[in-house]
Amino acid sequence: MRFGAEFGLLCALLVLPSAALAQHEHHMHAEGADGSRFDRTGMVMNTNTETLPQNCEQISADLEWTVRAGTRYALREAGRVFGYSQVAFEAPPCSRITVRFINEDAIRHQWMVHGLPRYLYPEGMFHLEASGGQEVQGTFIVPGDDATYLVHCDITQHMEKGMKGQLTVGRGNGDLWSIPGVTADFNQSSTNPRGTLMLLGVSIMLGMGVLTTTLIGKQDKTVTKEK
Amino acid sequence: MRAVMMLVSGALLGVLVFPGQWIPAELRFDMASVFGTPAYRAPAATPEMSAGMTPIDTMCPEDLLGWRSAQTIEGVEIAAASTCSADNPYAIAAFVKGTNNVSMETLLRAGLTPDALEKGADLDGDGDPDEIHIRLEISELNGGSPDAQEPVVQYEIAPGITPGLWVFSPKSFGMATENFDSNIANALLRSPAPAIRVEQGDHIYITLENTHYMPHTIHLHGVDHAYRRADGQGNDGVPMSSELPVQPGEARTYEILPRSAGTAFYHCHVQPQSHILMGLQGMFIVEENRPNNTLQSMNIGAGEVRVRSQASRETYDQEYDLQYTDIDSGLNNIIQQTNDPARIEQWLHGGYNLSSAHSNYFTVNGRSFPYSFRESLVVTKGDERIRLRVLNAGTEGLALHTHGHKATVTHLDGHALPEQGQITRDVFWLASAQRMDLTLDTRNDGVHSYGSGVWMLHDHTGKGTTNDGIAPGGNMSAIVYRDYLAENGWPITQGEDMGMFFDPAFYRRGDRDSEPAVEMNAAFFLRLLALGFAVALLLTGFVSLLLPLARKSP
Ligand SMILES: [Cu+2]
Repeated sequence: MRFGAEFGLLCALLVLPSAALAQHEHHMHAEGADGSRFDRTGMVMNTNTETLPQNCEQISADLEWTVRAGTRYALREAGRVFGYSQVAFEAPPCSRITVRFINEDAIRHQWMVHGLPRYLYPEGMFHLEASGGQEVQGTFIVPGDDATYLVHCDITQHMEKGMKGQLTVGRGNGDLWSIPGVTADFNQSSTNPRGTLMLLGVSIMLGMGVLTTTLIGKQDKTVTKEK
Repeated sequence: MRAVMMLVSGALLGVLVFPGQWIPAELRFDMASVFGTPAYRAPAATPEMSAGMTPIDTMCPEDLLGWRSAQTIEGVEIAAASTCSADNPYAIAAFVKGTNNVSMETLLRAGLTPDALEKGADLDGDGDPDEIHIRLEISELNGGSPDAQEPVVQYEIAPGITPGLWVFSPKSFGMATENFDSNIANALLRSPAPAIRVEQGDHIYITLENTHYMPHTIHLHGVDHAYRRADGQGNDGVPMSSELPVQPGEARTYEILPRSAGTAFYHCHVQPQSHILMGLQGMFIVEENRPNNTLQSMNIGAGEVRVRSQASRETYDQEYDLQYTDIDSGLNNIIQQTNDPARIEQWLHGGYNLSSAHSNYFTVNGRSFPYSFRESLVVTKGDERIRLRVLNAGTEGLALHTHGHKATVTHLDGHALPEQGQITRDVFWLASAQRMDLTLDTRNDGVHSYGSGVWMLHDHTGKGTTNDGIAPGGNMSAIVYRDYLAENGWPITQGEDMGMFFDPAFYRRGDRDSEPAVEMNAAFFLRLLALGFAVALLLTGFVSLLLPLARKSP
């Protein structure tokens, strides 16, 4: 855990590195005892195999997931270009999850979980990143309360164009928007043809005219009858 | 009868609530001659332009990370940055040594991957690496989103101005933004693409890792390269003639072995009417071969070269990369209007018409004034020979004017001019894609320099110094002498208070229709309601008058 945490802090705050990191100077491969790593294949950050979140008494379950990433998993009909083999993840509270992340593209991809408790995960983030054609693996423990966490790839436009998922712990606390194939986009493009508003205005005016004239017509008739 | 009543009362009511508007101009003169001229009524005041004074520290943000200072990292001596904003010195050190030859700590601080820029063997035995492998990704700044109500991963070219941009960026790791709670792009992801610096005779491999959702290529304009690689793969980056584009998620390596030195240009060649202007453009500089050549192989966002080549040190006191371009927000903002790449492609292909378009933003090194003053000033102590490598990557011509100085052009499009062709003047015309190496001589002799001061350096084509037509803006920068430069890198000027230019409201285009001079009040609202009622009376009266006629006619 320590090694991973310091990785995160260093990247985020640019504070002085720990002795653990200093030992790795001039080696293009760094790997922590807990599985944290940073080298040509990618990056595994903020792993946690041991430390329990505050509201957990014990590890409730051990889960192992294999997630594949690449353009071939994109939901094309929804205008998406990148994708994960799975976007909806479910886990019981206090479970320990090991993710094997396989990148089938020739470019970088990430599998990041956001919103985790910051006292365990720097920046509240668990982070897997694989270079093109590479595979990385990491473990983290989810807290004990029902919550839904964002899973995504933060390379510009990768989440927007499909690499978005959600991790539902327990019953969760509501689905996120624009999970490919699961939930709708918040910004819906208009499907109405051109001139819709104008036509609507004209029909309202016509309707009003017809209604008022029929009303007046009836009144005129009653007036003539009385006469 | 009822209908006639309705017509009359409707007409009366209408005239009563909005009297003036219903009387023809000729009649009003006649009426005035009978009833007298109407009394004076004070017009509603024009709302004031908000020019809120921004505190001085936001003009030049404090250098909290110490990136401006002179420092030695990994044995690389990095000169102090003169300007207010500076590049990450850890990235500079990694670009000099190679990301494969620096410590993990430096890489983590630089934000670069271990294979972002690898430097290998010294092939000619002259004390510097000659095998260079550069990996470029493509980042989208100010892009669209299926959920957000504002552009995502923001990069402001000027206060409040965020045109959509595609840029080549060094291979980096982690989040694209400063942090999870931020929507601001991290310092490596910016416009323009990094200026690339290699040495004549180097074996250079450039891998395009296409992280973007559109197909792209790299075309090396003006850099000596073979049309095909040894294995037959196209190497010119032109989809029409040499190779198919690199699809999203794919990668391709270009190989070059430049035999000549000079200032060149690299850009994407897919749909050149839009991709280059979307921002896929950068400077590519081949330096002369020298022993123990220390090259800063990437200059993020171009600008001052903080670690210079041996050839530059021999002849010059300073060197700057200046990349000028122009932006048409009508093109660049297409990516913010839909999240569907197929639609974006349709709008780029047939929806946008470059032949009838006009650029409205003008940048130097990815920023317009006033932000250009933070990072693109040319700073001198006087009596210096300064090399300015200039590229005009835009669609419009650039008339680069050096106030208070006459510079000398030494190279055109990367090729040295003969002595008698090296013209000294103060306006330099650069057509699209042209490069020019200028020598700025700051000796105060009444010709090359008129002495110390803050001398503007800008495009003289008029609109080039505006942000969407509002001045001062555009690609304006300055040549600043040290005695006119504050400690924080901001010029000491004695004209207008520059604080107002940092207020986004200053560059908001006043739309005559969207900003009414008169505010809606209760009285006007009631009058408008009454007018609506009058029109309804007239309409129904008219219809009920015609209805009996229509019934009678058959
Ligand atoms: Cu990705």
